Amino acid sequence: MRRAVAPLLAVTVAMVLADSAVVTLALPDILQNLDASVGQVAWVLIAYNLVLGVAAVPAAAAFARVQPRVFSAVGVAVFAGASAWCALADSIEVLIIARCVQAVGGALALIGCLEQLVEVRGERRGVATWVTAGVIGTAAGPVAGGLLTQAISWQAIFVVQVPFALLAVPAALSVASAPPQEADRHRPAVRANITLALMSAALTAALFLLVLLLVEGWGRSPATAAVTVSVVPIAALAAGPLVRLLRPPHDVVEVAVGCFLVAGGLAALAIPPSAHLAWTIAPQALVGLGLGLTVDRLTSQAMEMRLPRARHAGWTISARHVGVVVGLAILTPVFTADLQDAQEPAQEAITSLVLDAPLPPDDKIAVAQALGDALSDERGQVPDLHPAFASLDVDPRYRAATDQLERDLDSQLERAATWAFRDSFLIGAGIALLALLSSLRLRRRTS
Amino acid sequence: MRAPRWIGLPVAAVVLVAGVIGVQLANGGGTYEPLKPSDPCAERTVTSRADGIDGLTERLVLLGINNAACTLGVTREALTLELAQTSTRTDAEIDALRAGLIEAVRQMKKDGSLPPASDLVDEALASANLNGLLERAIRLIPDSVIDSALKTDDVLERAIDDLDLRDLLANLDDQGDLERQVEAAVTEAVKDSLLDRLRNLI
Repeated sequence: MRRAVAPLLAVTVAMVLADSAVVTLALPDILQNLDASVGQVAWVLIAYNLVLGVAAVPAAAAFARVQPRVFSAVGVAVFAGASAWCALADSIEVLIIARCVQAVGGALALIGCLEQLVEVRGERRGVATWVTAGVIGTAAGPVAGGLLTQAISWQAIFVVQVPFALLAVPAALSVASAPPQEADRHRPAVRANITLALMSAALTAALFLLVLLLVEGWGRSPATAAVTVSVVPIAALAAGPLVRLLRPPHDVVEVAVGCFLVAGGLAALAIPPSAHLAWTIAPQALVGLGLGLTVDRLTSQAMEMRLPRARHAGWTISARHVGVVVGLAILTPVFTADLQDAQEPAQEAITSLVLDAPLPPDDKIAVAQALGDALSDERGQVPDLHPAFASLDVDPRYRAATDQLERDLDSQLERAATWAFRDSFLIGAGIALLALLSSLRLRRRTS
Repeated sequence: MRAPRWIGLPVAAVVLVAGVIGVQLANGGGTYEPLKPSDPCAERTVTSRADGIDGLTERLVLLGINNAACTLGVTREALTLELAQTSTRTDAEIDALRAGLIEAVRQMKKDGSLPPASDLVDEALASANLNGLLERAIRLIPDSVIDSALKTDDVLERAIDDLDLRDLLANLDDQGDLERQVEAAVTEAVKDSLLDRLRNLI
């Protein structure tokens, strides 16, 4: 059991942080299955990050008064129970409440697991394991969520967490340690936490918006989107070897370069030349490298040699998740308004293609009527035109022209959706540049 | 003096970002936007996959909407969507559409794409549901006589004048009703055109 303790605690940390974005690819399924509105379903994502961001600091303050192993075990158990509740939720309201409870358990688990990992692995390795597990969880969340949603269902995202979390409960209880007695000796690392919050907001643009663009804008399946966005965690892993090769003398260089790479990646995501998935690979690699260079360095800077450790961990968790919420709060209204504005040019482009289509007038009228029905059913989302074409009864001589028209219309919708996401990606890039400016004033603590 | 090794990290980042953005832009990344509607006031040629009356009607409608959009200062796509999606039409829209259709007839006459009336007689008779004897009698009339008696542009302009466009646009979903209204207007136009011709002869 002793050997499994650290991996189980690390997996719990990764799961709690993965849950920050794990539902992103499942949101369309949740929207449909729980008969929710777009606004309600966004709260499945926002509620978790908001509660985790708000609960982390009080949880860290409470940590000093409770046995660490009890604190951790309770946190992990609450997280496990709430995960099961999320899977069983039969309405959007219940799911949002369960996500709030899950975030409270997650906040306790993150703080507790840090101390337990330090107890098991020592100061440096324990903190490093906690930080690394968090980075991997953050980057891999959407990938795991997308694959599970496509392979099984959105509920599977939450079900798979339960056994791991339940195994982590006895693991946490097996690590005996006394409550930390350190007084508040260091002030919170404000600059590092602000930079971390800004980077989290920018990374929200990268992961959340890209997933939405792939699934909602370009009509790809959750599994395809999940495989596509796996470039980010893979590239994040490449950051370590790159740093070891070039050996920058100061964390500031790594963090500044990481912020710049994320800004560049987001700017590149704003201007793809087509809706081909290949055009997202290189920008995502930039974002992934940037994530690998920044998040763990900033987390370490915010916590390194600061006591009490749990208190500073609370601040970093809070900074990350408040950053995610701020990112969502800034970006969601921008891209929903832009998506609304994109409807008119998209409809005009579709009308233009139908008017000039090489089809007989009767077929054009039939296409126009079918498209009219499809467009009126869109419920604020990018419409799927395929059912309109599938139900068409056209002369076989004009089948090829009809198929070409369908491809051209889909291309116009992809163009409109991509155009609608452009401002949001550029705002994300701007936030990453703000993080870059903030990072330039970071100094390593030497005492 | 050699630059320190760590300089490689920011230099590599700048090269990577510039390279990725440069490749995206070079392949048209900055202009990946929906198709922009063309200027309705620019000259437009329209074609149809259909022959006879259907083809003629389609080309007339496409040119007519284009001309009306130019008059109203909107794109032909915006006007088409407006006409298809809303139930109330303004007087300005109706007037612009009628003028646009008449202008379309003149454009087609000018470019020689308006067929002679004799080309349309067979198709018109097939759908006219006339008495068999009368239909056969009309079919026996030589094309030259028909073409001298009926000018396509004259008939079309009269039909467009006769059409209740507001009523017609309110029934776009009802193909049968639409055809009845157009047929009635065309029949009236043919009759008026023939009477006018007779009056001139007398």
